[in-house]
Amino acid sequence: MKSLVLKDLFNIGHNAKSMLFILVVFAVAFIQFSNVESYIFVCAVLCSMMIVTTFSFDDSSKWTRYAMIMPISKKELVVGKFAVLVIFCTVGSLFGLVIASVGGLITNKIALELAGIAELLLLTLTAWVMSLIFGSMSIPLVFKFGAEKGRVLLLVSFLIPAAICFGIYQLLALLGIVLTDQIAFILLCCSPLLALVWCYVMYQLSYRIFEKQEL
Amino acid sequence: MDAILQVDNLTKQYTDFTLDHVSFSVRKGTIMGLIGENGAGKSTTINAILDLIHKDEGSVTFWGQKLSSSKQLKEEIGVVFDGINFYETLTPFKVGKIAGAAYRQWDAQLFKDYLKRFQLPADKEIKSLSKGMKMKLSIAVALSHKPKLLILDEATSGLDPVMRDDILDVFLDFVQDENHSILMSSHITTDLEKIADYITFIHQGKVLFCKTKDELRYNYGIIRCGATLFDQLDKDEILVYRKDEYQWNVLVADKEKARKKYKKAVVDDATIDDILLLYVKGEQTK
Repeated sequence: MKSLVLKDLFNIGHNAKSMLFILVVFAVAFIQFSNVESYIFVCAVLCSMMIVTTFSFDDSSKWTRYAMIMPISKKELVVGKFAVLVIFCTVGSLFGLVIASVGGLITNKIALELAGIAELLLLTLTAWVMSLIFGSMSIPLVFKFGAEKGRVLLLVSFLIPAAICFGIYQLLALLGIVLTDQIAFILLCCSPLLALVWCYVMYQLSYRIFEKQEL
Repeated sequence: MDAILQVDNLTKQYTDFTLDHVSFSVRKGTIMGLIGENGAGKSTTINAILDLIHKDEGSVTFWGQKLSSSKQLKEEIGVVFDGINFYETLTPFKVGKIAGAAYRQWDAQLFKDYLKRFQLPADKEIKSLSKGMKMKLSIAVALSHKPKLLILDEATSGLDPVMRDDILDVFLDFVQDENHSILMSSHITTDLEKIADYITFIHQGKVLFCKTKDELRYNYGIIRCGATLFDQLDKDEILVYRKDEYQWNVLVADKEKARKKYKKAVVDDATIDDILLLYVKGEQTK
């Protein structure tokens, strides 16, 4: 699996400069004209979307077929994609945190106090969870429909988790459960676990799709 | 057991094509050439052998084991397709790192040596390499994990004769070790004529024959004759024939016998290309 992660990191490394440029442009736009918090989300989600780009690289070089003649199983290939996604989400969230903090301090939008820092850290964690959920939804879609169609379907990978969250929210409202700050905080703390469960479900789905495919 | 690769009754059905009960084996220390026209089923055979497509019927074993049964088996098999399977912005150095992380048997020094031997710059991006150099890089990767069996699918297609000759030399070097074997599919039959020990001919998804190259080269012949002589030929001796504008070309399995029997006929040696062409475009008497 190390080989698969290495391959994706080497491949995407070529796009790192343009991604960095986009993130810097967004930093100016968001931190200056919006708020630092949303910038962290943008960074995390944009980086998670790079997982679809790695599939495009694989398609153009017919890598997947080649990987299967190496001592790599189909399971490992799918796990490798999720591992790369976790790396992308982590790098994106941390990059967002660092730039947002620096930008926020420069523009006086955040202050160096414990509550503010804790809030930023919690937001970074939420951004990581969200990007992981969105990104992991796109993996089975790309395995099923290919990288080109997968790009178009990226919207679906954002809509489905959003629709599920909205559905749960509505259900809670129907049951008369009010989402207090305390419940929201508990949910946020549990969210990494939920994201990992979601990733596992998406992994199983991806593997089932990929297992049946002829290369 | 002498067979490194044993293919038995390999069958795969598509809506418009069927790979039909293909069987052959590759023995230790030999080069097996897989020939056939485009679309004959050579690549489908290789894909099925490598478990890249699902088989409908039949079995494939390497050293008596199924490919899916052991990861170690994949360490022993080097594969080269008709192009490089690494993204174009990677360099040979990075390719070495990726492959090195995948194979336990990877020999980084051997890979370096191959890069040097093939004059491949380690830090140049793949997209800036010529087709021949890309192919050499694929071969370097395939050989650097010390496989015992090389499977080559149209690995020399699209290369100029000099580059092809260089690559064929590498393959000949590889089989100097009597434990090594090669299965090589190609529609460039002259390449196989140079290096193959056995030839398996696939036509429309079926194996037409599997013979030693020497048998084809030294025994097979083509009788060139007119209509009158053609009518006198023993039809049991005709493998396949084709009528050109002015003459009949008749493939026979024993050219010396034909030369003695039909003194008025011209009996030429048959190249593998001639044999392939006659089987694909000609007709059979029975």
